Amino acid sequence: MILVNYIASFFLIALGFYCMAVKKNLIKICIGMGIADYGANLLIVSVGFNPGGTAPIFTMSELTQASFFVDPVPQALTLTSIVIGACTTAMTLSLVIRLKEKYGTLQADQVRRLRG
Amino acid sequence: MTQLFDQFYNFVGTDINHFPIFAIVTLFLGAFIIAIVGKLNKTLRNVIVFIVTIIPFLLMLSLIKPIMIDGGVINYWMGNWAPVGEWAIGIGLEVDALSLFFGLIVTLAVFIVAIYSFTYMNRDSSLENYYTLFLMLSGALLGLVLTGDLFNIFVMIEIMTMTEVALTAFRVDYDGALEGAMKYMVVGSLGSSTVLVGIAMLYSQLHTLNLAQIAASLPSHQNAVTAAAFAFLFIGFASKAFLFPFHPLEADVNAVAPASISMIISGVITKCGVYAIIRICYILFQNIELPAVSISVTLLGAVSCFICVTMAFNQHNFRRLLAYHSISQIGYVIMAVGLGSMFGLEAGLFHAVNHTLFKGLLFLTAGAVQYATGSADLDKLGGLVKKMPQTCALFLIGAASISGLPPFNGFASKWMIYQSVFEKASETGNFVYVIVVVVCLLCSVLTLASFIKVAQSVFFGQLNPEFNKPEVHEVPVVMQIPMWILAGLCVLFGVFPNFIQKYFLTPAATAAFNVTNYIDTMLGQGTAAKAGIQQTEIGTVSSIGCWQPVSWLWLLLIITCAVCLIAVLGSNDNKKHATALNAEEKVSDLVGVKQSGAGRLNNVAADASLKGVASDHLLSDQELIIISRDRTIEDEVLAGEDPKYENFFSGEKSEFSQVGGSDLFWGFKHDMRHYFNFQKDWHSGNVNDYTTYGVAAIAVTLVLAILFL
Repeated sequence: MILVNYIASFFLIALGFYCMAVKKNLIKICIGMGIADYGANLLIVSVGFNPGGTAPIFTMSELTQASFFVDPVPQALTLTSIVIGACTTAMTLSLVIRLKEKYGTLQADQVRRLRG
Repeated sequence: MTQLFDQFYNFVGTDINHFPIFAIVTLFLGAFIIAIVGKLNKTLRNVIVFIVTIIPFLLMLSLIKPIMIDGGVINYWMGNWAPVGEWAIGIGLEVDALSLFFGLIVTLAVFIVAIYSFTYMNRDSSLENYYTLFLMLSGALLGLVLTGDLFNIFVMIEIMTMTEVALTAFRVDYDGALEGAMKYMVVGSLGSSTVLVGIAMLYSQLHTLNLAQIAASLPSHQNAVTAAAFAFLFIGFASKAFLFPFHPLEADVNAVAPASISMIISGVITKCGVYAIIRICYILFQNIELPAVSISVTLLGAVSCFICVTMAFNQHNFRRLLAYHSISQIGYVIMAVGLGSMFGLEAGLFHAVNHTLFKGLLFLTAGAVQYATGSADLDKLGGLVKKMPQTCALFLIGAASISGLPPFNGFASKWMIYQSVFEKASETGNFVYVIVVVVCLLCSVLTLASFIKVAQSVFFGQLNPEFNKPEVHEVPVVMQIPMWILAGLCVLFGVFPNFIQKYFLTPAATAAFNVTNYIDTMLGQGTAAKAGIQQTEIGTVSSIGCWQPVSWLWLLLIITCAVCLIAVLGSNDNKKHATALNAEEKVSDLVGVKQSGAGRLNNVAADASLKGVASDHLLSDQELIIISRDRTIEDEVLAGEDPKYENFFSGEKSEFSQVGGSDLFWGFKHDMRHYFNFQKDWHSGNVNDYTTYGVAAIAVTLVLAILFL
């Protein structure tokens, strides 16, 4: 049932945003960013899904009008998006490490020298 | 000269279609070359950076004739994946006049920042990393404005966000650098995820990512999902343009990033957000004509404009103040773009390019001040006009431009914005636009006030003794050249606005309205007509007659002369008056000394209390004379000046009593203290709060979009 995927993906995105908005711990914020990303990825993959379709791998001779396969473009997009998500997580965690060294805390509400 | 151009274009022929991709690839290639050889040799590195930043600029300039003047559109299919049966599978670049307009902004700014960085960054270590990141950022920005593929835009946005975060935290030991980077990372990833969700939703309905094909098929596929997709895309791009409620981030990032990167962030990255918003509102969804969209976008601009200009009032950090102003100016741009009229869009585009020029100039002068003194604190700086006269002149040009004084460029574009909002108000009779006009004017006044404050706090007033040493001097020439280029452009754009309008603004604005041409170039003639998209009628534009920068300049000069004359006469008068007073006092002092008995005690008391001596009964005649002499000397030192006017705010003398950033308008601030306190609490600096504002903005936009679209 594809509807479950849609519901799950939006649930994940909302959960991720909730995490980022409410959790004080910087590591948890980072996890929230990851969850929101996975939600978006799930959404893209689900968009390209055709019930009963095969994998979109053909040679030119095999490809006919009758071949029925899932949309390959969203899968490519998801791959790209996963890579970007991994970069984001790595970058955020490296910043968190340096912040911990400098401020001595992981609490988001204590890291607020820039304000007003 | 013309022949030379003709020869060039004949020589290039159809190869000109490759220019956009060359420009993007040059920057990315440069990034990787620097990563490999940057460590070896400093000169080699700088030469490479210079070459790879000037080439894209020249390529963009060479595209002006075929695109801006001849009205063409260049499309380029990567790997020659041309569309099959009107289905665009591959990734395409599509450069119309709108893209080229922003491409020119990007490449110019990148080139100028590269020159500036050579000296500005020379005290930092591991500069090869800086230039690698900087060139990747530039490549991403250029790719974003030239691409014709929605997912490509997302990828470029992500590269942009990553490199921007890394560059913000480049000076890791600078106080707050990591914090600013972290905040931008979190909230920026919120924006990026939103864009991604929007793209996925759009793809689920249309099964294409090509901008032209989306534009062709969207009008026949309007439903709740595409409305939601619009909301997601809009908020995602608004977060990249740092519009309200994402504006605190730009302040945090710009206050701690190197000044060269601040110029890129405020001058170019925000423009890319604006570009994307124009693209989705005018070309993809073509819904800017709807009153609901138009009013919301204009109001969003007005709110950003007002909140940021008042926030800027309270800042004590030079660059943080500039950052808030930059969003305030972006608010103007969005306000004009949201009107959906030809003239409004032209005004918005003009203000966008002007903003890059003058805000870039201001950030570079802020960087120069920081380079020379090591401080960006408005409470510490002061009196630098003696130390850095050229930087001061450059700052004044920038400040006059941003405040909209003739004959600088800010005046021309702000005039166009006022006129376009005014026209829209009279056309629709909607009360909202009347409020927007008032907000526009109010913000302009507040901008001027706040730049008077900055000029006073940084360049005029007393020199902080801490900076009164030979090490603090004018910045090197290499740093001044880019600033003078920007200042020159500020003046040129202000004096010849008609030229700019004819060759740049009108083609760009026409391209934004000319959806059929955009679709047909990409997917073949007649596609748009088949999809049922009508050729929109492009209105003519006429500026009302009062827009004459030179006359306004004369008026300004006359008023300035009058004010100066009054000031000069007034000060002479004061001196005479004060001298007379002085003489009287001296006489009375002498009399006081000669007198004896109870009568003189009064005088003694007055003197003694002035000096803070506790008792006056024990004073002998001799001491009295000394006190009187002291007082006479003091009077002479003051040379007839009443200590009351020594400084702006107090009658006390002190070593260094610089007018703090908060004191020039303290009366105004006191009156508005409840508002300012509210603002301060609201911009709490907590990343959770900023994320909450972002999520709230997404929710509100989503509801609005589903209700009205």
